[in-house]
Amino acid sequence: MTANIHILPGREDQVWQKGSGGNLACDRRSLAGSVTQRACAFCGSRVVLYPIADALHIVHGPIGCAVYNWDIRGSLSSGPQLHRNSFSTDLQEKEVIFGGEKKLHASLVELIQYYQPKAAFVYSTCIVGLIGDDVQAVCKAVSRETGIDVIPVESPGFKGTKKTGYQAACEAAFKLVGTGDTSQIGPYSINLLGEFNIAGEAWMIKRYFERMGIEVVATITGDGRVDDLRRCHGAKLNLVQCSGSMTHLAKRLDEDYGVPFQRVSFFGLEDTARALYAAAEFFGDPALMERAQEIVYEEIAKITPRLKEYRKRLKGKKAALYVGGAFKAFSLVLALRALGMKTVLAGTQTGSAEDYEQLKEICDPGTVIVDDSNPLELAKFVLEKDVDLFIGGVKERPIAFKLGVAFCDHNHERKIPLAGFEGMLNFAEEVANSVLSPIWRFAPRRMAQALNPKEDSHHECNC
Amino acid sequence: MVTTATPVKKMRKVAIYGKGGIGKSTTTQNTVAALTEMGKKVMVVGCDPKADSTRLLLGGLAQRSVLDTLREEGEDVELEDIRSPGFCESLCVESGGPEPGVGCAGRGIITSINMLEQLGAYDEEEQLDYVFYDVLGDVVCGGFAMPIREGKAEEIYIVCSGEMMAMYAANNICKGILKFAENGVVRLGGLICNSRNVDNEKEMIEEFARRLGTQMIHFVPRDNDVQRAEINRKTVIDWNPGVQQAEEYRTLAKAIDKNKLLVVPKPLSIEELESLLMEFGLFQ
Repeated sequence: MTANIHILPGREDQVWQKGSGGNLACDRRSLAGSVTQRACAFCGSRVVLYPIADALHIVHGPIGCAVYNWDIRGSLSSGPQLHRNSFSTDLQEKEVIFGGEKKLHASLVELIQYYQPKAAFVYSTCIVGLIGDDVQAVCKAVSRETGIDVIPVESPGFKGTKKTGYQAACEAAFKLVGTGDTSQIGPYSINLLGEFNIAGEAWMIKRYFERMGIEVVATITGDGRVDDLRRCHGAKLNLVQCSGSMTHLAKRLDEDYGVPFQRVSFFGLEDTARALYAAAEFFGDPALMERAQEIVYEEIAKITPRLKEYRKRLKGKKAALYVGGAFKAFSLVLALRALGMKTVLAGTQTGSAEDYEQLKEICDPGTVIVDDSNPLELAKFVLEKDVDLFIGGVKERPIAFKLGVAFCDHNHERKIPLAGFEGMLNFAEEVANSVLSPIWRFAPRRMAQALNPKEDSHHECNC
Repeated sequence: MVTTATPVKKMRKVAIYGKGGIGKSTTTQNTVAALTEMGKKVMVVGCDPKADSTRLLLGGLAQRSVLDTLREEGEDVELEDIRSPGFCESLCVESGGPEPGVGCAGRGIITSINMLEQLGAYDEEEQLDYVFYDVLGDVVCGGFAMPIREGKAEEIYIVCSGEMMAMYAANNICKGILKFAENGVVRLGGLICNSRNVDNEKEMIEEFARRLGTQMIHFVPRDNDVQRAEINRKTVIDWNPGVQQAEEYRTLAKAIDKNKLLVVPKPLSIEELESLLMEFGLFQ
């Protein structure tokens, strides 16, 4: 069956199998016709900035762009909900011909008067890039008129991939940095970068640090606030979780304000513990480390019995994962291993050469690694490796379900927090509920295996 | 026996291109004046955001452009709102467009021509002999090529002079025509030389036309009567039908009316074009 699915010519070197030697190519433009799982620059900028809850987010473009990606994520807020709206200038033929600047100006003034936001972000779409509206000038004028910071996000979709959009978002956010008072910020203080609070993770992580005695100045951008961004340069350390989207901002903070950064992950027991220890070590206070160890011990003790239970039942199951950035992939491989599972396929949309070296190292022999993959290719390996679980996002879900494979959403649409220690238990529970469901034995390929065990003898039957 | 069928006129669809400032609008309007004088029914569609392609036919009357009307009154537009009668029952339309530096004028041309079609400006009952599109400068983007796409204009005349930049532009426009001619009906009808009193101008443009595979359809000499008529917001024929320049435009109009030589042009390479200039411009 899978023999019919070939890797597209031109993509061979973006697929790698551990043990095969050779290199994995990455960081290149998607192959035409491959239906990449990547998204456009506009999408990238929007997912990054959108969780800033007390800002006005307006999409300058046709209405379709405003709908694209609108509110598909939890991005929970403990206060204002302004970010949940998708405001748009709804550009039409008339504005394409005569320019959209006036409409943008009018929309901004009206929305700012009505909602009194702390700041406004204006996202440029493809059409705005083409007709050349001077968005920057409009933003400046409206800022002057209203006294509210109006910040252009230079994100016409065609400018590049999601990664280009991440950078535009970081640049836009950075415009607010340095405009707030930092005098009240203590010596043990951090920012959490690249944590988007999709299902309340930012709150869980923040609590660990507060228990340790470390102040979290800003989470960027989960449950984000404009005023937190303004003063985040006063923190002493930046912990970057989603490296793909936020490394650029971390670098800017390092260059301009001397705030160093470390890449961390809060997914899985090992990585969460490591992140807490890293912060304690950075500040060099033995009391911090002591409390971190206490927290780790206490939390792990709380969940271990139930985790062991799940491990027993999940042992030997095979997983495929396809995610946006590489750091999440590392954590997932380790977390799956902790559950007794094997990662047989791992891939990312935007991993770098450095990322992949690390991924190659932690993977088991035989694991296939793919860069900038596509639905057909993913389907090929899901079948070939006969996986029991697919971990991915909204675009991978239909691939898994069509092939009759359990699925765990580890992206925008998840509703259960999967970070931290409690998150690991949630993850185990979700994986177990899905993988161990009896429904998969009725998937066509499993039915075929059950009926003709000899034909597919190299596959173990899970029924 | 009474027959009710009226003979169907075949409307000729002409577009005038050429370098900016070469005199496209002036030449178009003066030629249209001559055609209407011959009894032809002609519509002129100005495809320039400046909306100044029909000033001489309308006697300087400012007219609302298609796009301004669309912007101010929405989709509910009547043909009469955007089409005005000009000299000798000519019909004048200005596409219009955005202010310089904003929006997309190319998209404006597309919208405006589609709108004219929807409103029936080209319908048979209009009994048009000609429609003339007067298009700004070079074909800068897809929108400005609209008049030569999808068979909207079928005959192109390029206004040029013996000046180097005008010939470059003409050659460039031929590349555009070639592209659309491959899949469509558009053809080059000839070069109109609007003289700038360059040395050997007539011979050079004749040779240039020959190498392009076309003809110089008329050599319009430079004459200040054109400017005098323009100051009076009139075409030469309207202003003073007896002067020699009026005769020149009549000759051009007749040549276009009789023209059967419609070709797919063969644009020159830059080297060929420059050697042509050297040959005629320097060594005689």
